[in-house]
Amino acid sequence: MDSQPDLPIPISYVSGRYLLFSIDAVTYLRREHNICGVLIGTLPQIPQQNVFLGLPLELMPEEARLLVDKGVACIVDETKAHDSMNTLLEEDRRRYLRDLEAQGLHASRLHADRKEQQKEQALKNRINDKNANPKAKAAAGAAAQTPEDALSTPSKKDDAAVVDLFAAEDPSTPSRDASSTPTPSQNAMGITPATSYPPLSIPPSSSHLPAPVVPPSYPLFAHLHSRGYFLSPGLRFGCQYTAYPGDPLRFHSHFLVVSYDWDENIDLMDLIVGGRLGTGVKKGFLIGGAEKTLDDVESEADRVDSVRTFSLEWAGM
Amino acid sequence: MADVDEDVVQTPATGQVEVDLSDETQDFRFLNHLNFLSDAASPSIPRRGEKDFEPNPTEHQADVLSASRDAMHNALSFPRLHRPKTTIIGYYAPGGYAAQAELDAQQDAQQAKQDEKTSESTQKKTPPDASKAATKPVNVSSDACVFVPNPKGQFFKTLGQADRKNRVWLLPEEALYLLERGSLDIRWPSTSDPEAVSIPMSLQAAYACFVGHGGLTLERFSVYTGLKRLGYALVRAPGWSDEVEATEDTDPASEPSPPKLHGPGLAGILGSLFKWIHDPRKTASTATGPIIGFGIHRHYMDVYRKLAIIPWYDPVTAPPSKPSDTTPPFRVVFHIYKPSTPFKKSAPPAPDFRVAVVSTRDQTTMPTLPQLGALLESTPLDPPHGEKMQRMMYMRLRHGYRNVVMAVVDQGVVSYLRIADSAFGKEKLFENKGGPQGNKRGGRGPGGPNKPKRR
Repeated sequence: MDSQPDLPIPISYVSGRYLLFSIDAVTYLRREHNICGVLIGTLPQIPQQNVFLGLPLELMPEEARLLVDKGVACIVDETKAHDSMNTLLEEDRRRYLRDLEAQGLHASRLHADRKEQQKEQALKNRINDKNANPKAKAAAGAAAQTPEDALSTPSKKDDAAVVDLFAAEDPSTPSRDASSTPTPSQNAMGITPATSYPPLSIPPSSSHLPAPVVPPSYPLFAHLHSRGYFLSPGLRFGCQYTAYPGDPLRFHSHFLVVSYDWDENIDLMDLIVGGRLGTGVKKGFLIGGAEKTLDDVESEADRVDSVRTFSLEWAGM
Repeated sequence: MADVDEDVVQTPATGQVEVDLSDETQDFRFLNHLNFLSDAASPSIPRRGEKDFEPNPTEHQADVLSASRDAMHNALSFPRLHRPKTTIIGYYAPGGYAAQAELDAQQDAQQAKQDEKTSESTQKKTPPDASKAATKPVNVSSDACVFVPNPKGQFFKTLGQADRKNRVWLLPEEALYLLERGSLDIRWPSTSDPEAVSIPMSLQAAYACFVGHGGLTLERFSVYTGLKRLGYALVRAPGWSDEVEATEDTDPASEPSPPKLHGPGLAGILGSLFKWIHDPRKTASTATGPIIGFGIHRHYMDVYRKLAIIPWYDPVTAPPSKPSDTTPPFRVVFHIYKPSTPFKKSAPPAPDFRVAVVSTRDQTTMPTLPQLGALLESTPLDPPHGEKMQRMMYMRLRHGYRNVVMAVVDQGVVSYLRIADSAFGKEKLFENKGGPQGNKRGGRGPGGPNKPKRR
């Protein structure tokens, strides 16, 4: 799983937003660079819910800028890049289609194997049940004829087994909708790939877009990020960013972050409201800003270093 | 007594704390517990997982984190597969319907055979469409850019528009939604030879081609797809395009005309008549004497009525002389139908909700009162009705007389705010028969004002 994608990672610039489509890039950036982004896509395996979302991953301009400044990523105008789709050579198309078909065949074969496995497992479970419980004898015969029914048994009874199965799998293994009729293994499944590379070739560095324009809160963002915090958009929680001490997968956030300019007057009510809100949800209210403006710093890094932060907490509650 | 009631109003979720699981990052390991392997139709949502307070250097924590990340990696790398038997194939037509129609005319001779086949197969499923195909007016949006020659399955009940050849044309958001959920295989247009094998479009290509096409922003798509995932049906509202004025919203023909002439309006007239009978000599003058005037007051009601000197706005009886222009982004872009609403895509009923989509990176301030006012004016009058509303004042206030849902999209995180035009002036507390306490006793049912603001 610890795959290292080729650097720099191309970030797709689509209609003014920054998106990532490659799962390897997403996990790599999360693992190595503390960049989480926000998943905005539908998960094809469970498409009717909003709790778990899938690719693409939307990056804040701040995140994209940070990665570009670090030299880890570059910005690619995806709409322009896809113009070259029309000019693909016929042989490239055919090769790509053959690849896809091979993947599809592999997928349907795995799918069929898996169904067989599940059937066997289910039958085994039934037999065990029968031995344990004489009353289930009659039911066991019926179970063999209704695989849909039996299929649910192993996953319900033994969650751990399912997790193992899932983790050990090849990423391209299908398991969607196992209750429908089995597909003949010779028929290749159609595949909608997540990314367009291949068949497109990686765009040359001359076509990369400049680093993203960032809001004035960027120095604070970069400062907190350099201290190991994971930051995510925070408007839903009443702030600019929510800062997590570690990966949000495993940790609750510690701070509600709001950035101010160095000489900006701060309304006392804003501090009180933010402080009360933060304390109410067991977080600190963190304000900060860069002391040096763009004019009197040599580099963006210098500006980020001059950031000072303060946290407010309501005492005695 | 009064305090209790006010508390309820302020904290609508008393008793049952509502937890929105999508509020925070969920541990993808819990996804594996979902029983989608056997029953894809009704996956159960996992409970929220335990999280740690802060990182520590223990190996245990590192292991758990890496397991979580692996689970996430696995879940996200799940491929979008299409079974050979059930696959639905769409074709990307960058030029839209008009260009495709021209192309069709050129290739008519070649395609004649194929078309017959197509219409035969769809005829069985949609006989009225097919039989009238030749004379039916084509109602395909100019923004539609994907066509499905052989539409089958549940999705096309609420999505797409059919053309003369019984192909269903999909708007960019519809096509992208279907492709993303793995229900549609979209092919690139084959430039030269129509018989040549066309290659499938990737998710990345679909985003690159569809977002930004025909007014579809990523924010609008996030709202569209988020609500589709929950089962709502969505159609574009007239305010979709920035150039077009959103006037059709208030069109009395398309919306059921609100009862402007009776009900509260009539009651208002009767009320003033009643007032006049009750108190013919208007002695009150705020400038020269006590506000309530001189004379004998037999009832508190008279006193209160005279104390009500602050003018207020009645959304029912004060019709807007001319709806002011809405300004993007504060404009209704989607009409939304609950899953329970019978929805016919050829003649959509009055929507259950109207949604305006706001991006936090383009619009960093709250809407001004004129902007909000114009947005609310663009929605039809929707007075509170029903027995429950009659009984419960706070529900009435909360429901308001016009309402609109604002979807605020902050870098992919969507928050929904319901904005309603409440008429506090209409709720005269002193006129309640049993006095304020009686109203409160009777006015609050067990499931009363606990309605969450956010949907």
